Amino acid sequence: MEHVNPLTGFRVDGRRPNEMRQLRGEVGVVSRADGSALFEMGNTRVIAAVYGPREIQNRSQQVNLKEALVRCEYRMAEFSTGDRRRKPKGDRRSTEISLVIRQTMEASILTHLMPHSQIDIFVQVLQADGGTRSACINAATLALADAGIPMKDIVTSCSAGYLCSTPLLDLNYIEDSAGGPDVTVGILAKMDKVTLLQMDAKLPMDTFETVMELATEGCKAIATYIREVLLENTKQLECQRG
Amino acid sequence: MVGLSEGEKHFIRGGIAQDLRADGRTRLQFRAVTVETGIIPQANGSARVRMGATEVIASVKAELGKPTILHPGKGKVSIYVDCSPTAAPMFEGRGSEELSAELSVALQRCLLGGKSGAGAAIDLSSLIVIEGKACWDLYIDGLVVSSDGNLLDALAAAIKVALSDTGIPKVNVSLNAETDGEPEFDISDEDFLQFDTSSVPVIVTLTKVGKHYIVDATSEEESQMSSAVSVSVNRLGQICGMTKRGGAGLDPSVIFDMISVAKHVSQRFISLLDSEIAAAEAADAE
Amino acid sequence: MRDLHLPLNQTQRVRLEAALHELQTLAPAAASAAAVTVADTIPVNHEDNILKGHGTTDQDGEVVATLCGVVERVNKLVYVRTLRARYKPEVGDIIVGRVIEIAPKRWRLEINFSQDAVLMLSSMNLPDGIQRRRTAVDELNMRSIFEENDVVCAEVRGFQHDGSLHLQARSQKYGKLKRGQLLTVPPYLVKRRKQHFHHLEQYDVDLILGCNGFIWVGEHVVVNEITTFNEDQEKLSAEVETFTPMETRKHICRLANAARVLSALGFTLTIELIIQTAEASLSSNVKINDMLGAEFYVQTAETEAKRRADLLGRKKGGAR
Repeated sequence: MEHVNPLTGFRVDGRRPNEMRQLRGEVGVVSRADGSALFEMGNTRVIAAVYGPREIQNRSQQVNLKEALVRCEYRMAEFSTGDRRRKPKGDRRSTEISLVIRQTMEASILTHLMPHSQIDIFVQVLQADGGTRSACINAATLALADAGIPMKDIVTSCSAGYLCSTPLLDLNYIEDSAGGPDVTVGILAKMDKVTLLQMDAKLPMDTFETVMELATEGCKAIATYIREVLLENTKQLECQRG
Repeated sequence: MVGLSEGEKHFIRGGIAQDLRADGRTRLQFRAVTVETGIIPQANGSARVRMGATEVIASVKAELGKPTILHPGKGKVSIYVDCSPTAAPMFEGRGSEELSAELSVALQRCLLGGKSGAGAAIDLSSLIVIEGKACWDLYIDGLVVSSDGNLLDALAAAIKVALSDTGIPKVNVSLNAETDGEPEFDISDEDFLQFDTSSVPVIVTLTKVGKHYIVDATSEEESQMSSAVSVSVNRLGQICGMTKRGGAGLDPSVIFDMISVAKHVSQRFISLLDSEIAAAEAADAE
Repeated sequence: MRDLHLPLNQTQRVRLEAALHELQTLAPAAASAAAVTVADTIPVNHEDNILKGHGTTDQDGEVVATLCGVVERVNKLVYVRTLRARYKPEVGDIIVGRVIEIAPKRWRLEINFSQDAVLMLSSMNLPDGIQRRRTAVDELNMRSIFEENDVVCAEVRGFQHDGSLHLQARSQKYGKLKRGQLLTVPPYLVKRRKQHFHHLEQYDVDLILGCNGFIWVGEHVVVNEITTFNEDQEKLSAEVETFTPMETRKHICRLANAARVLSALGFTLTIELIIQTAEASLSSNVKINDMLGAEFYVQTAETEAKRRADLLGRKKGGAR
């Protein structure tokens, strides 16, 4: 199957190779959580809810008294995928993604400012169309900022791939399952540091560099968007407060 | 789940006795309901229902399957509910399993009838494509995104709205000899059959607190319940299913009384939903 | 907008948008200019020897925000005032909390802070009102003062070296809150003021605006100088048959709904505004439950926009 039209250079869904899907971010979607956000990348749609920082609920989980404990759970809705298959809760893939999100967010949260406490991040995938882990990280960043949790930097994530000898930004499900590599990158946007890097197929070294650069560019574009959303929200709250 | 002090509990009970609840509602008044349709494009039909701080999503997916040997003339429907940890941290991990199972089974009981499917509120025979050979399997999934009481009623309402949003593709069947009489299906991408939802019931849960009962209880009010009766009623006022929860015993006469109240309230709830569906469809069309 | 999932009709939507836009234009331009998000650089003059306060950090010599909020400068101090966040305690704050656990000589309270707060038995007046050493008997009787889940009003006493928060309740005005309802709002909507307890005599209602965003609206309780344990117990059992009077309950619900509407619209909750909103609903014959309906939200937003415009106009007039 041709994923990039050799004549026009457009992808199956009409995007250019270095074009991202439509982004949409919204904070405050779950009324009872301390912070929450919805994040969409094209048809991929996730909600994140943050509870905390609050007193540690299970003291046996406490590792370091001087830092906040960050926990994360990733869950996919039964109806989120195209083919409906019952998956047991806590399967390996979910566990791994939970761990990835937790570690990525932990790198940014200033945990030492909230000793003896825990922060729970719950991400729920409503629709999966490729790039769910990236969308989850972006949603979690928005939700954490909405909860007023201090962070060093904005963490964003984006994926890129390589199909038909073309580096492609932000793969959708069809492109993701086409057999090419899928490079998922997470960065601390301002400090320009990579916190997450995953790739699942072989790729020549020099091509890898361009693909990763493309993904990093995507991350930066998302960071700009997320900051716009947050700034707009902050201004609105401040103006209404009076 | 909800910790309340003696004074608050007393205040809630008093409010219900005096017919003025904490948010100013009377005993038989619902919270404001908002409805959106078509929120999961990948599904055949979907809806989001909000009642106060409770928010649920329902999605309907249709897949071609085979009817069971026992019931060759009926399609299959399964209902499965999950409570997202976004709604409450207590739902993380396996914490939601019990509640999810309780809600799923209660919905199945109220909407699908018994094992035979004879009393099903959803018309199962309309799902048949070829008798004994092919039928539509409907997978109905509910997701609790935010929880503040009355989840069962909200889920049933979301399912009703999602079904009214559901389009089932038209199927052209061609029987040919080459494949040993196995039918071939040509599923249309453009033509959809609208699902007939006029007979899909709503569920009204009456929560008994003290001597009185209320509809659309918040989670604080639910924590004060002695028992609750969920009745599913369709447009014609027929009772399609019923579940009683909670520890306290109920006098049969009270149950009959509650049923008649539920029946009365359900008609109001159905017309409320109808107008919300119409509004949601109008919003979609814009 | 957050929490506002209202079935607005076309005109209501337009009116709400207009009112919110009006609020936006009324807000001082400096406020929105000083808004920052996480990882924004805060411009400072480094020669001034500035002090980096809450919500800021040093990154390669730059002052960078770690929170979303508004930059405030007080002399040399630069900090970020957060909007939505958990409660950030200050000594002397009056808070409302819920008892989570009874531990030896202390109660642990949930107060919307990153940890539970501690109320020591020794930091509160005993019910008999006598100043004396706490005995073992007192310790055993702790549950008769506060039980688990009780709603309690107290004052922030200070921080311990490990960062945990201590409370005190050394006056008759503090203590258990009995009949009423507890609302939670984002703490940034409650301003620190001289008065947080309000006895609204006209309604026979107590309204406490806790700095931590917990708001208590309840039946007014007459503060008895001396109440003994037994009396307290007896009262509770007698209470079962005596519900809150209907008139008082109506006022409680109306005030609570006014607070709900204001908090959903993101307006600072002052006692005056809550009363005004409740009165406005009463004078325009809005039923208590209909206060949570779309029309009243729009009305409240419009009233507030008008109020702020008047306030601004008066200030300008005065300046001339």
